[in-house]
Amino acid sequence: MAQQVVMPKQGNSVESCIIVEWKVKPGDKVAVGDVLCSAETDKSTIDVESTAEGVVLALLFEEGAEVPVMVPIAVVGEAGEKVEASAAEVPKQQIEEQVHVSVAAVVESPVAAAGQATGASPRARHLSDSLGIPLSAVQPTGPKGRIIERDVLSAKGQPLSPVAKKQALEQGIQAPASGSGIGGRVLASDLAAKAGEPAAVVEPVAEEVTEIAVKGVRKVTARRMMESMHSTCQLSLHAFADARALKRLRAGFKASKPELGLQGITINDLVLFAVSRTLVQFPAFNAHFLGDKILRFSHVHLGVATDTAKGLLVPVLRSSEQLSLKQLSEGTKELIGKCKAGTAQPDELTGSTFTVSNVGSFGIEAFTPVLNVPEVAILGVGTIVLKPIEDEDGDVAFVEHIGLSLTMDHQAVDGADAARFLKALMDNIASIDLLLAM
Amino acid sequence: MDSFDLIVVGSGPGGYVAAERAGALGKKVLIIEKEHLGGVCTNRGCIPTKSLLNSAKLYTHAQDGKQFGVQAQGVSFSLLDAMAWKEETIKTLRSGIEFLMKSNKVQTVFGEARFLDAHHVQVGETVYEGSYLIIATGSSPFVPPIPGSKLSHVLTSDGILEIKEIPASLVVIGGGVIGIEFASFFSMIGTKVTVIEMMSEILPMMDGEFAKLMRRELKGVDFHLGCKVEEITPEAVLYTDAKGEKKSIAASLVLMSVGRRPNIQGLEKLGLDIGRQGVVVNDRMQTNLATVYAIGDVNGRSLLAHSASRMAEVAVSNIFGSKSMRMRYQAIPWAVYGNPESAGCGITEAEAAKLGIPVRSQTVQMRANGRFLAEHGKKGAGLVKVICHAQTGAIVGVHLLGPYSSEMIWGASALIEAELRVQDVKEIVFPHPSVSELIKDACFQLDHTL
Repeated sequence: MAQQVVMPKQGNSVESCIIVEWKVKPGDKVAVGDVLCSAETDKSTIDVESTAEGVVLALLFEEGAEVPVMVPIAVVGEAGEKVEASAAEVPKQQIEEQVHVSVAAVVESPVAAAGQATGASPRARHLSDSLGIPLSAVQPTGPKGRIIERDVLSAKGQPLSPVAKKQALEQGIQAPASGSGIGGRVLASDLAAKAGEPAAVVEPVAEEVTEIAVKGVRKVTARRMMESMHSTCQLSLHAFADARALKRLRAGFKASKPELGLQGITINDLVLFAVSRTLVQFPAFNAHFLGDKILRFSHVHLGVATDTAKGLLVPVLRSSEQLSLKQLSEGTKELIGKCKAGTAQPDELTGSTFTVSNVGSFGIEAFTPVLNVPEVAILGVGTIVLKPIEDEDGDVAFVEHIGLSLTMDHQAVDGADAARFLKALMDNIASIDLLLAM
Repeated sequence: MDSFDLIVVGSGPGGYVAAERAGALGKKVLIIEKEHLGGVCTNRGCIPTKSLLNSAKLYTHAQDGKQFGVQAQGVSFSLLDAMAWKEETIKTLRSGIEFLMKSNKVQTVFGEARFLDAHHVQVGETVYEGSYLIIATGSSPFVPPIPGSKLSHVLTSDGILEIKEIPASLVVIGGGVIGIEFASFFSMIGTKVTVIEMMSEILPMMDGEFAKLMRRELKGVDFHLGCKVEEITPEAVLYTDAKGEKKSIAASLVLMSVGRRPNIQGLEKLGLDIGRQGVVVNDRMQTNLATVYAIGDVNGRSLLAHSASRMAEVAVSNIFGSKSMRMRYQAIPWAVYGNPESAGCGITEAEAAKLGIPVRSQTVQMRANGRFLAEHGKKGAGLVKVICHAQTGAIVGVHLLGPYSSEMIWGASALIEAELRVQDVKEIVFPHPSVSELIKDACFQLDHTL
């Protein structure tokens, strides 16, 4: 029977601990008393010991996560035993997903509450004081942009003289890694030299640097983008699809009677419609790549990359292949509206199987969208441009074309597959009126 | 042609240390010396004067021992024996350096070096080739063109170490370190000594308050400050005093100690950049020629033996080592080994004012110290001054006048090098009883907080 190991209570004042390093990995055998991880409290670093015997089935938090005391951090049980979702997934999802949408949908949780104290942990602050490293010079890696002890340690160079230390802290100067004193020790004059370096090159300008903590949507985006680049093998294909049918339809909808409710259907809605239908023909692209397996989905849950004041959000249009153009258009508008208003719910922001990102309104012709992992592909939609096309008589005419950029994970599919999918999409867009009739 | 990784010209405390360090790194090194290993320091400077001063101090203490319960009759001073002791010391140290050269496989050649180009030096008929060249040719006493300066009784610090008889009277022209040490020595052994100094105070690197006390404590030495020597005759030294009046002092011996000049003869062929002070070097001791380095007095940056030795290490490090070393000048200590001794490190208040550094200072009397009182009594003279930055509290200068000064001052170098503040020094435990405790006392007076 799987048992949870919780973050132990550390006295009365400690509300949460930061997991500094996991000492075990799933599959490791542990006995009661074995160290599972080291964790940083406000005052010290502690070893968290296992309270159960068996095999580590799941680690519920990543290193650097701030975990309230008495919250489960790991599951220990028998080898091969299934971890119940209630035991393993809930806390992790709370952290991951709530952070993702926290700016929009304010969902309270014990983790979010404990993490409110952004800035630096007291331990990091003490170390900053004793080493003379201003916190402003430290790159935070703790949860919600919090500076923890290891962040200060990683900024450490040669020791600072007492005078240099005081000046560095008072004036927020990051000392050079080594200075001109004994054995490379950093002296006050080295700080002055460092501070004066730019002035030696250019006229001193009153420079205002605004520091913005990386947190919330930005932080989630940053992490997910890096994950994407680190975990996939991305290849982008660019093409242009004949956009005359798109334009014609859009003009027709715009001129249609208001009571039909079609006036709001945009070019992007038409492209999403074409994508939803094309993906049904190409299930390999309506899929997740999970390393050891690929999940193909029977429904197209279309992610629509959305630019909001808080950053990039990707609401999900569920079973889009079953929606009529009108339903699809209305559904998309509603989701985008919720994202911009900050009222999108977590389940509206997860579970996409393919994503479309449209930057055509900025005049971008083509780009290389970054995969929304674990999805296998993402489509970038560009602007409409005129392309010279030679007709059967040898006459050249300028024809409107829409830019399409498909990034795919070469781990899951091959270039020729992607080319076939993109070609089909081009054809479907070029004859979108026919597609609508089907 | 014999070729070497490094050729060092001059074997003073700069040259021999450079050769030793490079040899220890396994480099093929040649050192060229025109006279004796050890240079001025060992043969005609630091060491022989310390030997003579120690003899004179023993003589003085033997005469002054009554209050301490020591009575001695028939105490006399033998200059010949003192000189013999001095020679013995020099020879021992020279052979020590010879051993150092051998044990580090440094080849030694005696003779005058002729610089052919940046990689070739000739001695006699032999030309030696070196990948790198360290110039450590030192400096020589400067004799200004004063009428009579070439008379036989006018000596420099070189000649005065060879005299056979105690002079009845001595006029020392120049109140720098060399002049003051000889003035102290001769006054202790019964010579009537007069110091004529052109500036308004002796020992320019010394705190003004300390220099004044130093003059008072150099009993038996007359000082004429702000005076200009016009002529030296076989009987007297003629000078113009601060008021512009012409005066004269009878002198059976005259010591010319107005300064030293870098030995740069023959270097011009190399195309070296030579400034007013000497060969121009950067803080790695590198000249304008990439493979030629100049260390010690010849670059004129700091005319002290220990500076030369440090420059040697910096140069060798930049040639063969980590290349990260730079010469730092802000914490080089100096010492004057007269009776009393004095030493200092860092800046004086006058220098701080000139540099625009806001400072605070604290002076304490040595007689407030247990060990000093036990050994010198209530009337003993001695001062300790600690100067710190007014805002940061960093120690920027330490000045000492009194016994053990020369042995204590390295501590001040460490404090300044480490940029320790008054409040930091207060955390250091000093041995008791020792005169060094006064440094901590001064710090406590600068900052009463705990």
